[in-house]
Amino acid sequence: MAHSPKVIHELEDKSNVVIRNILRIFEASRMGHAGGTMSLVEIVTALYFHHLHLDLSNCDWDGRDRVVLSKAHCAEAIYAVLPELGFVPKEMLDKYYSFGSQFQGHADRWCCPGIDYSGGSLGQGLSFAAGLAMSEKTKTALNPPNLHVTSTNMPKFIMQYNPAYRVFCIVGDGELAEGQNWEAAMFAAKYKLDNLINIVDYNKFCLERPTEQVMPLGPLDEKFRAFGWWVKEIDGHNLTELVDTLDLANNLYGDGKPKCIIAHTVKGHGIPLWEKLHLHYGRAEAVTQGLKEGKEIYG
Amino acid sequence: MAKFNKYVKIGPATASAAGAEAGMLKVVQKHPNVMVVLEDGGMPALDWFKTNAPNQIIECGIAEANGAVIAGALASEGFIPFLHASTFAVVERAYNQIRQSILIDRFNVKILGRDGVWGVLGASHCIVEGIGITRVLPNLLIINAADVVEMEKAFIAMADYIGPVYFRLEDTSPAPLRIFTEDYPFEIGKAYQIKDGKDATIIATGLMVSEAIKAIDILEKDGIDVGILNMSTIKPLDEEAVIRVAEQTRAIVTAENGTIIGGLGESVATVIAEEAPAVLIRVGVEDEFSQSARIPTDDKDDLKIHFGLGAEDIALSVRECIAKRDKLKIFRK
Repeated sequence: MAHSPKVIHELEDKSNVVIRNILRIFEASRMGHAGGTMSLVEIVTALYFHHLHLDLSNCDWDGRDRVVLSKAHCAEAIYAVLPELGFVPKEMLDKYYSFGSQFQGHADRWCCPGIDYSGGSLGQGLSFAAGLAMSEKTKTALNPPNLHVTSTNMPKFIMQYNPAYRVFCIVGDGELAEGQNWEAAMFAAKYKLDNLINIVDYNKFCLERPTEQVMPLGPLDEKFRAFGWWVKEIDGHNLTELVDTLDLANNLYGDGKPKCIIAHTVKGHGIPLWEKLHLHYGRAEAVTQGLKEGKEIYG
Repeated sequence: MAKFNKYVKIGPATASAAGAEAGMLKVVQKHPNVMVVLEDGGMPALDWFKTNAPNQIIECGIAEANGAVIAGALASEGFIPFLHASTFAVVERAYNQIRQSILIDRFNVKILGRDGVWGVLGASHCIVEGIGITRVLPNLLIINAADVVEMEKAFIAMADYIGPVYFRLEDTSPAPLRIFTEDYPFEIGKAYQIKDGKDATIIATGLMVSEAIKAIDILEKDGIDVGILNMSTIKPLDEEAVIRVAEQTRAIVTAENGTIIGGLGESVATVIAEEAPAVLIRVGVEDEFSQSARIPTDDKDDLKIHFGLGAEDIALSVRECIAKRDKLKIFRK
């Protein structure tokens, strides 16, 4: 269960690479959703560099684990990972927000390899993730692995090759005010989508004000539990907790329950100025000052 | 007796729902990756799925926002999801979900919306704005079949087409006439000239094609020879066909089961204004919500009278259109 210090140390190195790439993105774009991106760093590091099943030679591999970034305005965190996986050229880091760029302002599946969901309008990602998890369950039901199937009439592309996959969703705390999340939560429990793992990036801030003032969420764990989900709360910046919990959720596959990991995070984490400002969307001045700090800390 | 073109043989009124049912049964034979996404409602050929393919039914309940996004996700994995409900629910309750999680990525989702002004359920359920609100969305095809035969053929063509489609069902309206022969060649994006006419042309869609056909008889008695263009694909509009009939007669009447704001009439108007000037009169609902009315009978159809959607109304508009055209110097031959 527990991971060796070496594994965690390597992941810490990776998270620093991710941060440096994020800083490079902001350096070129001079604006962006800095706070919510920084709160995601360890989550995406644990996912992409430790947990996800991916084929680095083929970003569209059918068996890849799907990632739905519902808070797609923080795509910078995943954009910082994609060049490290070799899915996009590293120069793309300098093209965020540019016309014709693979790195659109919000994650866009149509434009960018390695992106599974086009987001931007909040509160829909969990539904999309549930739909992907449902697709996997349906394909498996219609084409049980290693069983003789007589009743299915599924087409060959599904019949012949149906590797199982898991679906990871990342939602922000603010967007949980959208009622659709709870429609999706009911749906996932109804269809026993234990292949769905929802990670709440609980950074406590919405666009302008604390989530607690905008629309209080608590008790969030009890809410998801009441909807029939398995729930665990962790420190979203602690890589050991993250990888252990992802492994734990994975090992529970088969219990018929969708999983929710509530990751307590800090908006703007890792850059003191951005932490202080709870920076939701940094414009030139705050970004530039934060970048200066970031360079001193992360090189 | 009016002389119609090939593939047209007018028969008695026949509910077009049977066409959707027959279409779906053929579609599932050809495309076994169809998924039925329910929102606590029905679906063409639902009984077949219950018996033969229960794994291909997904029930989302009264949660259309979730349902639309689930459908988008299923399509992203190679399925062909069908959504079906009243347009106010399946489209309007999930408008941004359709935009964000279906259309931006051009996911292959088929949206069947019960649309049009007729029905017993009142303003909430009887939709006037269905065409207008869907027509403005990029990447979305809009189909509106005129009779039971075209319904079946269009249904199959919709499933063969790879991409999102809004398929308008007017099944709470009075049944349309049977219009087409079994060998009628339906094609997405192509308007069909049901009848040629030298004095004016009615461009009609869906149920209103039947009313246009009835209007022809009224006008013929006065020696007015009017053509009918069946616009079963609302988007992309068959602009060539519109230009052709506009240049032929310079007098166009559009007829649609819905508001004239944003609808077929406006769509035709832009083509006429830009490409082939003609006098245009739009028959449809004039900026007003619908209301309840008992199921219409042959001699009593309150909503048709209230909104002016009948054959007599179309005939009147045609006369007015011809008179306007003849008054204008630029159109004098």
